[in-house]
Amino acid sequence: MIRVQQAPFDAGAEQRALLEGRSDIGAVVSFTGLVRDFNERPEVNALTLEHYPGMTEAALGEIVSEAEARWALQGISVIHRVGRLAPGDPIVLVVVASAHRREAFEACDFIMDYLKTRAPFWKKEHSASGDYWVAERESDQRDASRWET
Amino acid sequence: MTLTHLNQRGEANMVDVADKPESRREATASGYIAMQPETLALLAEGGLPKGDVLATARIAGIQAAKRTHELIPLCHALPLSKVSVDFHLDEESSRVEVSATCRLNGRTGVEMEALTAVSVACLTLYDMCKAVDKSMEIGAIHLDAKSGGRSGDYRREPEASVAPPEAPIVTGEGAAGEVSVGSRCDLSAHCVRVKCLAELRESLGVSELTVPLDDLPTADVGGLKAALIERDARFTRLSKRRVLCAVNQVMAVDATPITDDDEVAFFPPVTGG
Repeated sequence: MIRVQQAPFDAGAEQRALLEGRSDIGAVVSFTGLVRDFNERPEVNALTLEHYPGMTEAALGEIVSEAEARWALQGISVIHRVGRLAPGDPIVLVVVASAHRREAFEACDFIMDYLKTRAPFWKKEHSASGDYWVAERESDQRDASRWET
Repeated sequence: MTLTHLNQRGEANMVDVADKPESRREATASGYIAMQPETLALLAEGGLPKGDVLATARIAGIQAAKRTHELIPLCHALPLSKVSVDFHLDEESSRVEVSATCRLNGRTGVEMEALTAVSVACLTLYDMCKAVDKSMEIGAIHLDAKSGGRSGDYRREPEASVAPPEAPIVTGEGAAGEVSVGSRCDLSAHCVRVKCLAELRESLGVSELTVPLDDLPTADVGGLKAALIERDARFTRLSKRRVLCAVNQVMAVDATPITDDDEVAFFPPVTGG
């Protein structure tokens, strides 16, 4: 399940929904990304997430398909929010279920690394000293390249 | 953003700069010391018991910049090529404004040196004047600007508390500040639909436009860029290495072919998650 939405999400409810009626799942890993009040500049008051409707969903779909091809998984939920968010707000949720823990841990890590470098989202931060578009991070590229073989 | 002075266990850690390339680094910092108007007048006249206050504070600031590594635990010792400390007597606010600039060609920034110079110059001003005024107050010590190095240039923005404009969430709608570039296509003509997203949309001032397919010297992304640059020189930005492109929402390169009614989007590297 892939969703791009403005509304907040409840990580617990999403995880329960993924596990609903399933007794074959042995492990579930959930990652939630949050808005920090300190990034490129201190005192970040808010951020606005922009995306490219259509391509976003397609890119997330491709990332999920690739995870499913690499690991034996039993369920994946990806939710990414767009719009104006405040510090502490959840931005992104990735829930991965599998029979054994290793697959779920690795696939969740993989999905986040690819999401950060391939899905068309852009963050603009609103700080006490002005607004600016967040710059890409080399470390994100490095993290994503770990999965290339 | 990570704190480079902490290692992965969160312990203090001196950053190894041996492999960083050398570049010209410069930093300017400033601050002030506020005092009684009478103290400032005495300072200006040279009537304070310890003598030439500003000359002493200037030497103190320069010396401090050179010895920053002895004061700040994880700072490197730097062969500074220039340190200047300047004072401005502001009678209206009854204070001495202090600014310092440090420069070197090296592998690490000099903002700590500039900040240290300002701090110690202010402390020396206090010491030189404290016989006549104990209520002096040091304030607003901050970095004004730095240049050089991997983290790029920084310039402190003037204090302003304007509400941030509501940025559009969904691209494709006419954004504020949008300018019309060229004419729209006739319905009968073959056209390419171009979108600029995120930072690129704001810096170019263009959200969406159409380009007749006939205007493209070659029917591919490279040809489209050439046609756009022909219309407006601002579009040379599209040829920068860090600008990405998607044709019909699939990542593309300059050689990717374009046909009638294709949607071509240009955007900066992604920063979601």
